[in-house]
Amino acid sequence: MSASIHIERASKVYDGAVRAVDRIDMDIREGEFFALLGPSGCGKTTTLRMIAGFEQPTEGTIRVSGKDVTGVPAHKRDMGMVFQNYALFPHRTVRENVGFGLRMRGIDKATVARKVDRALEMVSLSAMGERRPAQLSGGQQQRVALARAIVIEPRVLLCDEPLGALDKKLRQQMQFELKELQKTLGVTTVFVTHDQEEAMAMSDRIAIMNGGRVEQIGTPSEIYNRPKTRFAADFIGDTNLLSGKVVERDGGKVLVVAEDGFEIPGADHHPGGVVHAALRPEKIVLHPDESDAPCIVRGRIDSANFLGDSILYRIALPKGRHVLARAANTAHSRMLPPGAMTRLDWQPSDLVFLAD
Amino acid sequence: MTPGRLAYIALNAAILIFILAPIAIIFVFAVNPVPYIDFPPSGFTWDWFVQFFTSDIFMRSLWLSLRVAAIVTLLAVFFGATASLAIARGNLPGARTITAFVLSPLMLPAILTGLALFQAYMFLDIGRPLWGLVMGHVLVTTPYVVRTTLAVLHNFDTRLEEAATNLGAGPVRVYFEVTLPLIKPGVIAGGIFAFIVSFDQFPVSLFLIGPGNETLPITLFNYLKFEMDGRIAAASVVSILISLVVVIGIDRTVGLRSYGKM
Ligand SMILES: Nc1ncnc2c1ncn2[C@@H]1O[C@H](COP(=O)(O)OP(=O)(O)OP(=O)(O)O)[C@@H](O)[C@H]1O
Ligand SMILES: [Mg+2]
Repeated sequence: MSASIHIERASKVYDGAVRAVDRIDMDIREGEFFALLGPSGCGKTTTLRMIAGFEQPTEGTIRVSGKDVTGVPAHKRDMGMVFQNYALFPHRTVRENVGFGLRMRGIDKATVARKVDRALEMVSLSAMGERRPAQLSGGQQQRVALARAIVIEPRVLLCDEPLGALDKKLRQQMQFELKELQKTLGVTTVFVTHDQEEAMAMSDRIAIMNGGRVEQIGTPSEIYNRPKTRFAADFIGDTNLLSGKVVERDGGKVLVVAEDGFEIPGADHHPGGVVHAALRPEKIVLHPDESDAPCIVRGRIDSANFLGDSILYRIALPKGRHVLARAANTAHSRMLPPGAMTRLDWQPSDLVFLAD
Repeated sequence: MTPGRLAYIALNAAILIFILAPIAIIFVFAVNPVPYIDFPPSGFTWDWFVQFFTSDIFMRSLWLSLRVAAIVTLLAVFFGATASLAIARGNLPGARTITAFVLSPLMLPAILTGLALFQAYMFLDIGRPLWGLVMGHVLVTTPYVVRTTLAVLHNFDTRLEEAATNLGAGPVRVYFEVTLPLIKPGVIAGGIFAFIVSFDQFPVSLFLIGPGNETLPITLFNYLKFEMDGRIAAASVVSILISLVVVIGIDRTVGLRSYGKM
């Protein structure tokens, strides 16, 4: 049975000083693939360890399927965990590793053997059962760790950067396989990573963490298209961060980007104070500057990077600031050479205002 | 073969000869018919061994030494392993001081430890019972177990225990399923040291032995005071073989190898 997890204003303070996790709230739904994403030291592992029961929250509560689990010891939480370095038992064979959790549950030998067989089959390791962990490659060890965690049919699957030690190719393959497996089993999964592409590719929802706090929780597209904070906008994908003031002009609102001296119409924000906004590079439309047709701002191509499916331009604005613009590489598009002048345009609605 | 390689082999050979030559001399002495050290040997005989094995005094002290060493090993392993776990895991305040204290018998000359124990026993009016001797041996052998066990615990990945916990093992099962098997090589290595140190313990025994309770090293010493013949050499050879059998036997049955990657 899969479970939901509700974290309410949970904090973890180490040694009375380090606020590793700072009053976070999360609602993780049943069967969801939920990623904790953030830079090193932001509290991802600590959050996961509190869910697993290895750490007690200093304050706040964690409920699993509605029940407060404070005080439930880790070995009674019925959660499967995949550790970053796999933590396979070196003195036991692959089969013994995978069967460990079943054995601890007092399940009879025949059933254990059957379930272990099936789990090993799921991760395509049937032939490796009698080996010891040290005789396996990194990818194989990773699969054993996964099999060991899912064979107990846990309420929740917790993964702490399980793919961190694999090379890029294997990593992508495992991302795919893990996601498939998770969908088949329908198990609620909390997945820690600091790789934004991995989080985007695998998750139903992502929690962006920074300095022990949650910056934003949302689906990959929500977070990409509607980041709420400067940190979230900057952490996921390439982005242009603009800041300025919103003022009323001729009955409408515009954002005045002071440092670059241009105005953006249609600012959907209250006037007053300094505001920040994010603009994705692919939302910027470039036109070669052959006329004095109207546009939002003009710039000069600084450099052009051919990325295969797109071209990433670095463009210098009149006052020296740079923005990134991405143009799709279509059959009839031609690359703008460095030094060329260009007009920059975008839909006002593509500008995302940020909380801070 | 390069000169470097040759020098390397020569150096290793020299070290081996340096370590093994005294043992070889004992062997030669033990099978040489004349009752003094003589080289080259003037013949071959098992006589000294026969005399050693048929001597009541030697046999009684050999048997006592074996029993004492066995009990001492069990106690040292128990105390040493528990102390190491407490030091490495207990979050005790002053763990370093405790470690230094537990290991201190290693730093002191054993003769001082023996003298101190002797005086303590006199002061407490304990006398010199056999268990007093055993406790003296435990005191000087436990540090070996602590040393080797702490070394293993130091490199121990506690995530293995967390993994077991996560899979549903309570603290006791985690201990027996994961912790103990993984620290076993260290504990056993320490146990072997403990056995050997107790088996040929001289300085501590010298002070704590009660009348009629002589261990083999003490009997040999008493014997040496009056006579010096091949029986001493035969006894030494037997001691060496016993130590060897213990080391190999333990390695074959419970294993000394660690699990490499942890
Ligand atoms: N046992 C501990 N004692 C003291 N401080 C700790 C402890 N564990 C973690 N911390 C601190 O808490 C903060 C969050 O650590 P955490 O391990 O949760 O980060 P993380 O997001 O998992 O980082 P990474 O991506 O590097 O694994 C860090 O500043 C870390 O130094
Ligand atoms: Mg971490």
